Amino acid sequence: MKPDTDTPSGGGDALARDLHWRRYRFPDALYGYGAWIVVLSFLAFSVQYLEIPLGRIPDMFARMGAVLATRYYPPDLEYILDRDYMDYVVETIQMAYLGTLFGLLLSVPLGWFGAWNMTPSRRYVYPVARLVTMGFRAVHEMIFAILFVSILGYGMLAGVLALTFFCAGFAGKLFAEEIEAIDMGPVEAMRATGANLFQVMAFGVMPQVRVAFTGIGIYTWDVAFRAATVVGFVGAGGMGWYLKRNVLQIETERVAAILLSIVVLVLISEAVSAIARDRVMKMR
Amino acid sequence: MPILEVRDLCARYSSSDPEVLKNVSFDIEADDFFAIIGPSGSGKSTLIRCINRLVQPTSGSVRFYDREVTTLRGGQLRELRRDIGMIFQEFNLINRMSVMDNVLSGRLGYTGNLRTLFRAFPREDVRHALELLHRVGLQDHVDKRADELSGGQRQRVGIARALMQGPKLMLLDEPTSALDPKISREIMALIKTMAKEFGVPCLCNIHDVRLAMEFCNKIIGLQDGVKMFHGPTEQMDQAKLDQIYMMEVL
Amino acid sequence: MSRPLAAGSGAVALGVDAQFAQRRRRHGVQFAAFLAVMVLVAWSVEVTIIEDTDWERMGSPAQVLESAGRFARVDWALFPDLLEPALETFMIACLGTLLGALICIPVAWFGAMNITPFKPVTYPLARLLMTLSRSIHEIVWALFFVAVVGLGAMAGIFALAVRSVGFIAKMTSEAIEDIKPGPVEAIRAVGGNGFQVMLYAILPQVLPQILSVVVFEWEINIRRSAVLGLVGAGGLGLVFFRQMNTFNFPGVTAVLLAILAIILIGELVSHFARKSVI
Repeated sequence: MKPDTDTPSGGGDALARDLHWRRYRFPDALYGYGAWIVVLSFLAFSVQYLEIPLGRIPDMFARMGAVLATRYYPPDLEYILDRDYMDYVVETIQMAYLGTLFGLLLSVPLGWFGAWNMTPSRRYVYPVARLVTMGFRAVHEMIFAILFVSILGYGMLAGVLALTFFCAGFAGKLFAEEIEAIDMGPVEAMRATGANLFQVMAFGVMPQVRVAFTGIGIYTWDVAFRAATVVGFVGAGGMGWYLKRNVLQIETERVAAILLSIVVLVLISEAVSAIARDRVMKMR
Repeated sequence: MPILEVRDLCARYSSSDPEVLKNVSFDIEADDFFAIIGPSGSGKSTLIRCINRLVQPTSGSVRFYDREVTTLRGGQLRELRRDIGMIFQEFNLINRMSVMDNVLSGRLGYTGNLRTLFRAFPREDVRHALELLHRVGLQDHVDKRADELSGGQRQRVGIARALMQGPKLMLLDEPTSALDPKISREIMALIKTMAKEFGVPCLCNIHDVRLAMEFCNKIIGLQDGVKMFHGPTEQMDQAKLDQIYMMEVL
Repeated sequence: MSRPLAAGSGAVALGVDAQFAQRRRRHGVQFAAFLAVMVLVAWSVEVTIIEDTDWERMGSPAQVLESAGRFARVDWALFPDLLEPALETFMIACLGTLLGALICIPVAWFGAMNITPFKPVTYPLARLLMTLSRSIHEIVWALFFVAVVGLGAMAGIFALAVRSVGFIAKMTSEAIEDIKPGPVEAIRAVGGNGFQVMLYAILPQVLPQILSVVVFEWEINIRRSAVLGLVGAGGLGLVFFRQMNTFNFPGVTAVLLAILAIILIGELVSHFARKSVI
């Protein structure tokens, strides 16, 4: 094409040539649309393979409504308002914050060692820390719970340990990312005064990340509490055990009551965390 | 017969806010390149937006081709907007889309939902878009993403988009405020040339008084929502300018 | 501790003393808070772990190690049988994320303050749905859906879908609330209707973020999908459950490795997909 200057042209004969425009260019369009076609075909294949009865889904919703209305209503509130259950609820809360606490304690070194800019050794410590964090994150908290129950027996020890490792992985990655995002200026200043690594962390890094860490801590509590309510399902302590018992016995109204109590507790916990997070944000 | 008749236009943003426009009246003829000048906050932007109802005036009348605009709703409002092209200070292009798609978007008022979904504009539209892009000098940038262009180039896309509508009136909201002085002049000249070529009157909200005096044939001066001056450019002088911009000096 | 330089006037000396007193007070308060927390923790540990654990059954540390050691071997023979459940788990995650993303379309629309149709009603409703979705553990959702639609993949897909809505809709509505209003004005000025405004002015601005969020959640859903099988929703979780029940501990380890493998695939795909979208 003739190199036109970037100013308005007279038009006319120059137009006739390039009045030809096509939206779909080969091969660029191919990659973009190709990827979509692959994804969509896989999804269609999945529906087929898993034998999902697409046609019956509207039916299912109707049935869902019916089942909920008859067998799950009214929820057996008396069952959950009794002393034993309340004890379990308190236990659940204790499990949750012990798990969060120990998990956060573990995650501080994990996050520090897993931060590319502040790790003591990039060749050995960093990859190990990253691998460990990834490992903790990859394993679902329920699987941790089952494994610990199998090794240590039923009870809250298994639950607390499961929550601890889960929180360590969860917060560890977030901490590492937070540390990697800091301004290195204060760190350089600290290093220049001859401080050792620990002092550099304490005075150069911590002040910058303190607020964000608190926020992450609160977020971790949220997630841990949610998990704590259900680890009892596999015997790791807490109100989840009640859930399992009643599911097995098909005491649907009691199950409804327990689920309700779980939802209410989690919502309360979230409300409290939201307030705490607000306060933390104001600290900025 | 005037294309646009504005009578006693008043506007305010909410019942607790002060009035932004106070009884503004003027007419626009078919060959006008009309300027609205005034200090910041005088209501220039609001006045422009009352014409195509992006802002709802609280009272007064706006008649476009002898049709009352202030009471239109839904489909009729959209038809009105099809006939009025708008060029924005910040260009308001769809950044992630190509120049061609941005220009074609000027025809959305004439395009059905299904065609919109697949961006299947009629061939006539594509041809017209290419012609316009040629006219504004962007024929080499047709498939570039809008955010890859310079400010001046983006505004030219904006001009092409407005003209794609085949408008009967163009509203210009400080079209050059975001551009440097040399480009500003080029853009104003381009707009004026093309407006004349397509026979479209323009109502231009402009901050730079010199540009207004150079390109426009009639001027309205607003101060604090009130019309302080209304007449041909020749009648504008320093004394009247001082009066309009009095607040700014203070 | 020696007095720092420049003693100077009495006023300065007073300042230094006051400073130290203040610091000591603050440290005192911090220490007291720390002690309080320690006591709370110690009490909690006592009440929960110490009392509740069946120490006798657990045995000595050596026995515990032995228990743990049962998982140290891998039942390699199990792997061919794991391919189908792994595929199933993967598919459940994909379909669940897809369904969740579809449900998010109205929820995010209602939950974005700038485009919600009827603010006093639709906005709080959407926010409530998002919170509920995130607050209820996926196991609880799975139990719910198993009770209602029966055992199998469907329950898992619904559970994941509903669980994902919270995060995806929240991120999407926040992205929508952050859009530049200019393009919206432009499309309205051209005579576009609501659909066209959505498609041209809003969607292009938020699409990269939405896709990134969906892929992120998909990766997490793979992890969740494996576990939902525990409550009957199909896939590797079911195999895990069976291996545990038959005390085939090396088999359990094999299943765990399979789960880790598909999570790894998910992470790789997620990493590259999110890179190319942004």
